[in-house]
Amino acid sequence: MKRLHKSGLRTLQCAAILAAGLASGSAWAGIYNDGKVLLTGGVFTVDGAGGGGAVPWATISGYETRDGINGSAGFTYVNLPALQVSFYGVNVGFFDRLELSYVDSRLSLNLPNLQTVALLADTAGLNTGTDSWNSTLGMQTYGAKLRLFGDAVYTSDSWIPQVSLGGLYKDNRNKALIHTLGADKTKDYEIYLAATKVLFPISTLVNVTARYTSANEDGLTGFGYCNDAARNDCHNKRKVRAEVSIAHLVAKNTAIGGEWQQHGDNLDHRSVNIAGLNPTGLLDALQPVLGSVNLGGLPDKLKQRKEGDWYDLFMAYAPNKHISFTVAYLMFGNISVAPDQNGFYFSTHLTF
Amino acid sequence: MKFRKSLVLGAGLAMLAAAAARPALAGEQKTKPIMGISKSAVADFGGAYGVHKWVESLFYYIMLDNRINYIFKEFGNVDRQIALNTQLEQMVLGGANNYQGASMSAAHADLGITMTQFNAVVEAAYNACERDEIKYYTCNDLIAALAPFTRVIVTK
Repeated sequence: MKRLHKSGLRTLQCAAILAAGLASGSAWAGIYNDGKVLLTGGVFTVDGAGGGGAVPWATISGYETRDGINGSAGFTYVNLPALQVSFYGVNVGFFDRLELSYVDSRLSLNLPNLQTVALLADTAGLNTGTDSWNSTLGMQTYGAKLRLFGDAVYTSDSWIPQVSLGGLYKDNRNKALIHTLGADKTKDYEIYLAATKVLFPISTLVNVTARYTSANEDGLTGFGYCNDAARNDCHNKRKVRAEVSIAHLVAKNTAIGGEWQQHGDNLDHRSVNIAGLNPTGLLDALQPVLGSVNLGGLPDKLKQRKEGDWYDLFMAYAPNKHISFTVAYLMFGNISVAPDQNGFYFSTHLTF
Repeated sequence: MKFRKSLVLGAGLAMLAAAAARPALAGEQKTKPIMGISKSAVADFGGAYGVHKWVESLFYYIMLDNRINYIFKEFGNVDRQIALNTQLEQMVLGGANNYQGASMSAAHADLGITMTQFNAVVEAAYNACERDEIKYYTCNDLIAALAPFTRVIVTK
């Protein structure tokens, strides 16, 4: 017991010395860097990577230059008619070369049609992953981005952009609900190649990204699709999708712009699968609960809409190098069974 | 003997002439930003006087910034640095090439300038534009024109 206590103390001592060293040591002071020009690292995307709102750029997040390391934390809140999404995350940029990121996202669904089914399913004792009041889809995204070549800002006498290769690994927590929505996989990877260039004469940053993915709604509703409710005929075909982000700087600390992110059609017109049953099967299963109530129209109501590409218009403001704010108007189109999900986006990016 | 003397004199004169012609050759060349520089760039800066005033503001902000001021102080003769910078800025903005200083690579070769320090000067440049009421877009013309020098100025 005494020995244990001693070793514990020693560990504490070591930790304290290490912490003190990190806080005040010249080693850290030498490696910490915030030398990038304002806004040139981009803001915090929903994937955690540095970029616009949804589209990752080739720039490395944080204000570090090739001389050091810089980190940041971001929070984003999206408010759409039928759902709300929060993103919390951190990322670190190493020597303007490598970026590592992590984001935790929570999507709350407030869909009366899904909730009604959830209520009925609960009553019938079926596990659907839905909650009759508030269903939440959680996802963790781990990312890494490597700058391959180019300098987006300073090679103003060449058309060669800054090009980076990135990878994202996304893992959904509410597996039952992802399967209910008809997706094949709850976790998968995405790979993207981004090219970014600042065009000084028009004071505009242009970014083009190609993403190799099979994601439904950025992975928030899973990856791929299943043809049958029993999940025997599932497919996860990744394709290259295009993304564009344009940011016009009206001042050194203010950017306005727009984005477009191409989405797939994995879940278009597919019915949700409740507990391995399609809606007709579900109706049969619910008969004991429903009794003589006629819900013959239910299958139609539970058919998912055509997934829309994401568009947004944004304004980013960075009063200094420690904080920036982004507000955007999102046009997400149809998300699952919810039509016309357009609304506002607010994001804060804290840089150390 | 007399022939030899005149030969030496001639060679000396030729060398002098070469030295006089040197600033235009070995000094510095205009950069060539993609999409070009606005034709009215020098005028937008307030002409030659405006560019000079802007460089004075630039040095004002450089001297306030502890990350870089010591480099410029060590170099000495700030008035001369301001004069040379004025010539350089006028040239890259599309004005005449009257630059009399050393090339950017020669002038910065031994200084070990980092990207962070280069960016600090860029920040000072934007501050100078604000102080001189020069529009952000006009300021970007100058940054675009100077940016290619990053390759030779930043050596660390």
